[in-house]
Amino acid sequence: MSDLPGREELREAIASRGLAMTEDEAVKLAGYVGRMPTPLEFHLFDTMWSEHCSYKSSRKVLKTLPTDAPGVVIGPGEDAGVVKFCTHEGREWNLVVAHESHNHPSQVLPVEGAATGIGGIVRDVYCMGARVTGSLDLLRFGNPLGENGETVRSIARGVVEGIWKYGNALGVPNMGGDTEFHPGYDDNCLVNVVAFGMVPADRVVHSFVPSRAHREPYVLILTGKPTDDTGFGGATFASADLDGEQGMGAVQVADPFLKRVLSEANAQVLDMLFSKGVEFGFKDLGAGGIACVTSELAAHGGLGIKVDLDAVPVSVKGLPPEVIACSETQERYGLAVPESVADEVLSIYNEKFEMPRLFPNCRAAVIGRFTEEKVYDVSCRGERAAETPIEYITEGVVYDRPGERVEISTPEPPERHSSPAGDITDMLTSIAGCSRGAVWSYYDSEVQGATMLRPGEADACVSVPVRGSRTGLAVSGDGNPWYGELDPYLGGAHAVGEAVRNVVATGATPICATDCLNFGNPEDPAAFHQFQESVRGIADACRALGFSGGAYPLPIVSGNVSFYNQSSRGKAIPPSPIVAVFGKIHDHRKATDMVLRKPGSAILLVGTRKDELGGGLFYRTCLKHRGGTVPRFRGAHEKKMAEWVLDAVRDGKALSVHDISTGGLAIAAAEMCLASGRLGIELNLDSNPVNLYSETPGYLVEVSEDFAESATLPEFVSRVGTVCPESFLSGVGWSLDLGSVRQRWENRLHRVIWREEEI
Amino acid sequence: MASAAVIRFPGSNCEFETAEVLRRSGVDSRIYNWNQTLELSSARADAYVLPGGFSFQDRVRAGVIASRERIMDIIYEEAAQGKPVLGICNGAQILLEAGLVPGWKPGAVQAALASNMVHGRSGYLSRWVFLKKTTGVPSCPWLQAMGDDPVPVPIAHAEGRFVFRPDDLNRASGQVALAYCDPEGTEAAGWPDNPNGSMLNAAALMNTRGNVLAMMPHPERAYDLWQVPSSLAGSWGDARRAASPGDLGADPGPGEIIFRGLAEYLGVQK
Repeated sequence: MSDLPGREELREAIASRGLAMTEDEAVKLAGYVGRMPTPLEFHLFDTMWSEHCSYKSSRKVLKTLPTDAPGVVIGPGEDAGVVKFCTHEGREWNLVVAHESHNHPSQVLPVEGAATGIGGIVRDVYCMGARVTGSLDLLRFGNPLGENGETVRSIARGVVEGIWKYGNALGVPNMGGDTEFHPGYDDNCLVNVVAFGMVPADRVVHSFVPSRAHREPYVLILTGKPTDDTGFGGATFASADLDGEQGMGAVQVADPFLKRVLSEANAQVLDMLFSKGVEFGFKDLGAGGIACVTSELAAHGGLGIKVDLDAVPVSVKGLPPEVIACSETQERYGLAVPESVADEVLSIYNEKFEMPRLFPNCRAAVIGRFTEEKVYDVSCRGERAAETPIEYITEGVVYDRPGERVEISTPEPPERHSSPAGDITDMLTSIAGCSRGAVWSYYDSEVQGATMLRPGEADACVSVPVRGSRTGLAVSGDGNPWYGELDPYLGGAHAVGEAVRNVVATGATPICATDCLNFGNPEDPAAFHQFQESVRGIADACRALGFSGGAYPLPIVSGNVSFYNQSSRGKAIPPSPIVAVFGKIHDHRKATDMVLRKPGSAILLVGTRKDELGGGLFYRTCLKHRGGTVPRFRGAHEKKMAEWVLDAVRDGKALSVHDISTGGLAIAAAEMCLASGRLGIELNLDSNPVNLYSETPGYLVEVSEDFAESATLPEFVSRVGTVCPESFLSGVGWSLDLGSVRQRWENRLHRVIWREEEI
Repeated sequence: MASAAVIRFPGSNCEFETAEVLRRSGVDSRIYNWNQTLELSSARADAYVLPGGFSFQDRVRAGVIASRERIMDIIYEEAAQGKPVLGICNGAQILLEAGLVPGWKPGAVQAALASNMVHGRSGYLSRWVFLKKTTGVPSCPWLQAMGDDPVPVPIAHAEGRFVFRPDDLNRASGQVALAYCDPEGTEAAGWPDNPNGSMLNAAALMNTRGNVLAMMPHPERAYDLWQVPSSLAGSWGDARRAASPGDLGADPGPGEIIFRGLAEYLGVQK
């Protein structure tokens, strides 16, 4: 025990290496290894015990989320969630979903940060053995017209550029997402990314070495981009024994080209392994690089591993072992395979797909072998760089954080008169209410040839991800920061509620959800309380909105927590729970969009309006008021409405559907008119702002006049208007020519963000 | 059975859907990697397609590295034999860089696909556009099923603007196979009907013989009617709106006509 370092020495090591671990954690680590930890051990545990990998602050709260329902194959825990999807030609297919944030890197280096965000999330889906069939981005920027506007606009441009430059080249269709602006993100943007894909049910791959490795020799193959020093923790990078001139910075560099080639090579390798009936493990390299992938593949399979860092293909010579082991170089995967097939695997990467020719020193190599002895043993240039009992690496740490409610005052505005034509125009041409077409126009939403409804055509995007099958997949991601800041619980609940409505509006039945929870500093009881409340809201909404029968919830199958989102002045972002919901439609050809079909059709309102305009677009834009009563979340009612809409679509009664959210009924109606281009809607509503602008959840559904007249409608469905042949939105005593608004609605975002006009 | 080879370069990303629509049109298709020159030359397909994507990361210029790959020698020989060759998007860029299109001087680069240049906007652009057949070269197998009606298909590119030397404009105009137009079929008068500033409104250019077609829009993404946006103007939009929801059959979309043209040319019985 005399070898154990003192607290003073450990404090010194933490400071000089720029580690994030606490002194107590360093003491714990020293106790595990029984001596002063090696640099590699310090960095490995620093990563494994980081908030990002260990969920040490959030884990106890996350346990309250419902994760199980019929159809869930793999819930939270592995790289991505897996849910049963469809059967086609006798083969069962599963949906694989993952959701992550890349907030801080995107604020610092928007193009690279956003690109790497996609790069990381698609790897999580690929490594379950799936083909990635779509991604979406949930973006939160500051006020582009505010005091920090110039920075905000430049970050927004950079993030969109990063997304298209990476995603389009990768060949993964972009299924939209949403873009919100709120001054609370002035110094801390959010870039949340969702990716999903399809895998045959009998070909789901796990991220651990199989138990077969107890009986036959298994090796670890590292494949992809040669390891460099990118993504190695910034402070550490500055203080490590590195030549400054070799430095490439602490942000990872993404390469969609290599990723694309690697994905096809991986697909062939997996095909080969499955056809031989070989058991194997497969995992992407993300946080913690080689150190994490090697230790986790081994530990989760109940084995140890010997890693030879000299065998790692590198692009920079002379890197210290902790940098080789812990850098986060992009576009790499680790494979645990029997030694007997290793040569064949290597030849697919290195010869068939010519990886060394496509990028200098890019290749697959055997860098380790699994051992019965449960030790994590790493050597480099003849020296031992780490020697640790392996179970400690994945054991993790957990903290109990206190939360403390801060009362939020939400007064109603003193007066709320409306002139609908002017107010609706103001809302449609505001930054919050205008078209997001400018963003989507940069994205390739149609590659793979399976996209039916693109961003902006319906509330959710719909694709047909299994070639030849009719089963449609709808996806939408949502989260309203204006609700979150007034009521974090409702922010969470409505994030689920709106994403569910968006999916339902296309006729798809929700089957699972993912979440990304973006908050401030968890050590601040006020911020932690917001986190607890939002999770409670998500959990309640998921329990209320299960569609698989019985009391089963809508299961959260994957997700991510992002803390420490705050400005340099320490002001946290608004509580930002963001939820993506996935839905399934038996025959995609029945899916509904929001394009009005026929003059003379009836417009039905699903969901009676209530006086709850707080946090809404009308208060914010027309009254410049940020308070008020946020719409309540009525779970049972929300589900009843959804079931009615699903039936209407299934029976072919719904001609077009749009959910009611930001801006209320009037904006929903205007958006249906604008989407259809030539048609309009005559509403039977006067200028009462509750009817027109309350954001009480609901839907507008276009049905035939016959159906509206003859069908027995439930009490929460009523007729509010008629489709007319001109592009007007009108009500009792008011009328708005949408022809005059269209251009401004369509171009506003492009003008402000890209052309720096109208500022 | 008639066969088509789809050539995958490192970075191609439209090979699967392109191969699939060929098969659905009755043409047996197979994907060949860039380095499968032996397999390809012994297979001798009846037609060749270079799919979209970002071959070799668009290094140097989009399409230029792929155009120097050895496998292009086979495409070159087969094109000289008169076999149909189609390049879509990045495939079109490769055909121009290989000097196969416009092909006035075989092997020489005589036209370019430059960065989009429109109206206060740069970079990648995804949108649906309308195309019409402009020349009556009867021997273009890819266009032989096409009539005079405007055909909507999506574009998705950052470098799709056909550029010619001033002296070449005249002869180039005779080889513009498809031109951007409005939903009614009137030739485009600029943005937005011409989405990238392409000279002569060119959306697709062919060689002098008419068997090699370099096309920027993606017909494989418009193969089925359900792929057409409901908001689209014109008769295809009308058909899409009328057919859905609930009644959207297995009807073909506007882009199918390109592949049907090939199938007819190869004598495929449907």
